[in-house]
Amino acid sequence: MSLPVTTPAPGAASPAWRGILYLLMIAVAVVSAFPLVWMVLSSLKTPAEAMQTPPVWIPGTPSLDAYQKVSELISVGRSFANSALIAGITTAGILVTSLMAGYAFAKYRFRYREVLFAITIATMFLPPIVTLIPLYRLVGSIGLNASLAGVIVPNLANAFGIFLMRQFIAGVPDELVEAARLDGASEFRIVFTIVAPAVAPALAALALFAFVYHWNSYLWPLTVLQGNSSQYPIVISLSRLLSYNRSAVNTGLVMAGATLAVLPPLILFVFLQRFFVRTITASGMTGQ
Amino acid sequence: MSGFRKSMVAMLAPSLGLIAIFILVPIALTVWLAFTKWSAQTPFSTATFIGLDNFREIFGAGSVGRDFKGALVNTALYSLMSIALILPLSVLFGMLIHQADLKGANVLRTILFATYMVPMIAVALVFSKLYSPSEGPINQILGWVGIGPLPWLSSPDTALVSVVLLNVWQQVGYFTILIIAGLTQIPQSIYEAAKMDGARGPALFGFITLPLLKRTLLFSAVIALINAVQVFEPVALVTQGGPVGSTNVMTYHIRRVGIERAQGGLGSAMSVTLLLALVVTVTAVFALARREDRR
Repeated sequence: MSLPVTTPAPGAASPAWRGILYLLMIAVAVVSAFPLVWMVLSSLKTPAEAMQTPPVWIPGTPSLDAYQKVSELISVGRSFANSALIAGITTAGILVTSLMAGYAFAKYRFRYREVLFAITIATMFLPPIVTLIPLYRLVGSIGLNASLAGVIVPNLANAFGIFLMRQFIAGVPDELVEAARLDGASEFRIVFTIVAPAVAPALAALALFAFVYHWNSYLWPLTVLQGNSSQYPIVISLSRLLSYNRSAVNTGLVMAGATLAVLPPLILFVFLQRFFVRTITASGMTGQ
Repeated sequence: MSGFRKSMVAMLAPSLGLIAIFILVPIALTVWLAFTKWSAQTPFSTATFIGLDNFREIFGAGSVGRDFKGALVNTALYSLMSIALILPLSVLFGMLIHQADLKGANVLRTILFATYMVPMIAVALVFSKLYSPSEGPINQILGWVGIGPLPWLSSPDTALVSVVLLNVWQQVGYFTILIIAGLTQIPQSIYEAAKMDGARGPALFGFITLPLLKRTLLFSAVIALINAVQVFEPVALVTQGGPVGSTNVMTYHIRRVGIERAQGGLGSAMSVTLLLALVVTVTAVFALARREDRR
């Protein structure tokens, strides 16, 4: 009998116990994945299959008809373009403003720095509904309502991004910044050509977070767009399928729409998740 | 202005300017509007000061008060249930992934976390089908083990819990990542030392893991609370606050009053109340935690 080479982690023990843990792990994975798998399977069903009781799980003759129909109903192309513009421009804005403010908070010493930073961080914990009513009016009064600009502009800076960038830029050696200054580089040059590459993994994580958050965001676009459906992002367009959601005949249709909306954030997640997990772990945002 | 001051202002102005205009000014406006009668369809200048009337109305015995207090209670219940499920599950999943040393743990982490990336609107649509009493697979599966059929979203007794469950399904992966981050901070040497002294599974968990996770758990509880208060899509899209007001939660209710019915003053008073309730709750939780620490 060979001795274990590595020290077993706490909890690791007998084969029977490990078997139970594996079963638990598989059960959690199945429950977690089930709704998404069911969504995709249902999007391939025919209306007749969708109506059956008890439900059919695997479509007998998978068909893409539902995707065809849903793209006619909610102008999917237009909605995707709107979503991409909203999430893309907002993300770019957040990256730029967070880098700059994070740099100032991490590398400059000035009066009221901690107070300003604390106020900024406090806004991270504010549920958006608290400011929704005056914000709606405010954005209207500067002429941005019912437009993509109205969705985008109020979100071009956010506290989470500033916090994250400050944490990581603080770890960039001062010597690196000083050397660039001695070479005559401007502060902006330093931020975007020296500091940004040094915190690239955190920037990637912030990009994923911001893009997914604003791709998925519902409350604010719904409110500010005021029914101007030509500007709807995909998540709002999906709510127009509501009338089809009442009857089981249209399950395939609704699930096809949901599948389409889920794909971009999930694909982005697959590529960027390692940055995200590492960044959360390293950011100290869990209270350590 | 010196060069340094100029570049400092230039670095901070874009983000702090945006945050001031689009968050801090609206907070101030919300507080002011809460004491006024104002239609959200008209300019701010039309708001007229009415003292505490809005607050009297939302806490009064009339229908406005009844609906608001219902929404406040629903949101409190919803938040409590969400936190009570999310925290233990995320600790369990976090330990399963981080400490149990199993092959495939990273796959589980990816699957769990992926649900957090799914737009809430899609979650709401999918679960409205999963929960369907006759054509839905959940009742079918429960039927195999002799449970049900349950009414899920269609009964006032089960609708709020049903929304809690879909919220937990979506969010637990994110909190699992936070817990894993917390677990990685616990030095392995503490476990080694305790094991030398003869401590085993449950004791290790109770005397080392849990106490050293306390700050992470507190942070997670606060985030879970803030997230729970924001529940909107499943209610707006699937239940419309019903049946019989059982899923009428704050974000949905405030938007309906303040934006859809344009009763801006009344809605703002509700927003201010929500903000105060959150500040008091979070402060109390941290004060309690600190008192525990001193013991």
